[in-house]
Amino acid sequence: MNPSKLSPTPNQVGLSSRLGKFIDRTFQYWTVAPLVITLLLLVAYPSYQLIRMSVSEVDIVKGETVWEFVGAKHLETALQDPVVPTALKNTLVFVIAVVIIETVLALVISLLVSRSNHFVGLYRTVLLIPLLVPPIAIGTMWRLMYDYNYGFINQALAVFGIAGPTWTADPQLAMPSVILVDLWHWTSFMFLIILAGLESLPQEVNEAASVDGASESQILRYITLPLLRPTLLTAVMLRTIFAFKVFDEIFLLTGGGPGTATEVISLYIYDVFSGQFRLGYASFLALGLALIISIFVIFYRRVGQRAQA
Amino acid sequence: MNLYFMKKTQRGLFLSLSLLVVFSFLLAACGPAAATTEAPAPTAAPSEAAATEVAPTPTEAPKPLPPITILINESPWLAGFEALVNKYVEETGNQVTLNRTPFNGMLEKSRNAVQASESEFDILTLNEQWYMQFYADGLVTPIKDIDPNFELDPQIIEYEWATRWDPELGYSSEDGELYGLPINGNIMLYFYRKDLFEAQGLAAPQTWADVEAAAQKLQSEDMSGYVVRANPPNWEFQAFLASYGSNVIKLDEQTGEWEVTLNSPEALEALNTWLNLGTEYGPANFADNGQAEMIALMASGKVPQMVLVGAAAPDFDNPEKSTVVGNVAAVPVPGSAAGMNATMSGIWVMSVPHNLPDDRKQAALAFLNWALSKDAQLFYAQSGAIPVRQDVYEEMANDPKKGWWMKAMADSTSFIHAQPRLAETPQIIEVLDRRLKQALISEITPEQALLEGAKEIHKILTDAGYKVKPLAE
Repeated sequence: MNPSKLSPTPNQVGLSSRLGKFIDRTFQYWTVAPLVITLLLLVAYPSYQLIRMSVSEVDIVKGETVWEFVGAKHLETALQDPVVPTALKNTLVFVIAVVIIETVLALVISLLVSRSNHFVGLYRTVLLIPLLVPPIAIGTMWRLMYDYNYGFINQALAVFGIAGPTWTADPQLAMPSVILVDLWHWTSFMFLIILAGLESLPQEVNEAASVDGASESQILRYITLPLLRPTLLTAVMLRTIFAFKVFDEIFLLTGGGPGTATEVISLYIYDVFSGQFRLGYASFLALGLALIISIFVIFYRRVGQRAQA
Repeated sequence: MNLYFMKKTQRGLFLSLSLLVVFSFLLAACGPAAATTEAPAPTAAPSEAAATEVAPTPTEAPKPLPPITILINESPWLAGFEALVNKYVEETGNQVTLNRTPFNGMLEKSRNAVQASESEFDILTLNEQWYMQFYADGLVTPIKDIDPNFELDPQIIEYEWATRWDPELGYSSEDGELYGLPINGNIMLYFYRKDLFEAQGLAAPQTWADVEAAAQKLQSEDMSGYVVRANPPNWEFQAFLASYGSNVIKLDEQTGEWEVTLNSPEALEALNTWLNLGTEYGPANFADNGQAEMIALMASGKVPQMVLVGAAAPDFDNPEKSTVVGNVAAVPVPGSAAGMNATMSGIWVMSVPHNLPDDRKQAALAFLNWALSKDAQLFYAQSGAIPVRQDVYEEMANDPKKGWWMKAMADSTSFIHAQPRLAETPQIIEVLDRRLKQALISEITPEQALLEGAKEIHKILTDAGYKVKPLAE
């Protein structure tokens, strides 16, 4: 064996040493590089594709996808589209209603469960059930329950001599009916997050306050809620994101009707994309929805940062 | 030294693994598209070599065709279609696989199939409101490209040329090329409770005024006088519209210009009639009834009359579903005046995707040819499906079980009207549905619904590049 082949030359040593130092210096970046590259591929490319579609007309002719750049044409279409303002208004009404009501309900239930000494596991399991049911099943189930002629709710009301209303056919009642179903479905999600937050709060603070003579309501107002704020903000932010994207329940319950009473933006995007096959315009609307959700997310983060400061 | 080499080896290993992971993701991201779009290879087709080795003698059975796969929607007539397919397999020995898909997935599956390098389906079942996009974009094969000698039997109803596409006009016309063959002849019929009508001395309605008179007489606490289809409303309303001599859009064949006629005085009369029947005589939830709810209302005896798709008839004869078995009759949909009857076509056509090899296209057309023959269609009708041949309807009119509604189907053929049949039809239908729903719940007036709808449709056509006459306001 030739020893010269085993021992590196001075040049080789210098190069190897410099490369080694470079790798040492940048090692932390190399460790996250696979994840970053993967995320870029999985998030950045589809996002780029969405943006590209939103400024194009996309058609399929003879099996080939034909792209035509149209600039801001879809923005112009959206501004003239009579469905967009209605759908946005309905979406906002829905989001604000469900997020506020579900947060309050979940907070109350979480406080009650966290203070209960019995059947905590049972409460949790029962309250978790709606979250486990697929939205398609929920929509169908409630559609049957709301049915004017044969639905359980109206038949139950009839037992007491009350004529049940037309839950999903009355323009005034349709949105509250949809919201009620959403409360049934999603309150448990908020409950789980808030309960986890409550259980992670230090008990010593509450005990100290109690020893100092603070009442239950004072402890709740001045200790529990301020400490719970980061958890609440996270829960509210997540719920807002999900609520903006509501689709299955409304699709099955009302299909956006009666009239346009429950037409929400996701439903309209589905119709434009799938029913009308206007891929470019649908992408533009989807991008618009993503931007609106982003504004809310930024708002929540600002509120969170201010609270921390 | 050892430590140096160990560190170096770890780094090297780490970098190699990282690159491997990234490379795997890249491969995974690129791979499936090609794999999933690949169509199953026809297995039963004998190779050319095999065919030359064993030349068929005149007494031998013809060479079996490649197996075919049909994309078919889950519907009340699926059982009849399955029976038809089984008979085809039994008679010819050719293999057929059915891909049964709910209505909501049909369009997506059809689109995916025609975008692949080779379609997984040999026959697509296309709905009245979609087929135009497939014809217009050349996504299905003209029938004469498969068989230049193909001639459509004149007994096969073409439903105002739903089978054809004229690329110059950009719509279905008599002079267009044959792109699809009808497989389900859904049209509307007027259903009524003959027992109740007879008890009140009422004849089968010929006009909307007759319908309203019957509604007035038969409405009670337990029964609504009439029910309109609110989810979606466009199809039923278009029958009212046509019965008043109007339509949504109209082509001036002399000038090639389109005219939006949705806001015509006749259209307003039609809308007022429809709204009056729906709101004055409908159940409390009149704004919420789709086809399934309407069938349930009739079958449970809560409504004595309605306009409904002909395919609903067997439901009223089914003792497991209906409390009114034997008491329902059907006639052509009434009109604004006697003889002005109008029914809308809501059919399904079958087409052969463009992206298939010739032998698969031939096999698909062989099935369609067989399925549209008189014998096959008679069997199809007896199996509970909706045939597409006039001679079959006329023969079935004497059938003791199905004759009561098959006769109405036969009598309705001359009143069939088409919905707008352009590539932009889905957009037009969306406008129509939305405006009608708004009018039904008095969110806007009937005049506003028609005028605003007409403006939107005018813009859709103008933006799409059609020559459109100015809107009459």
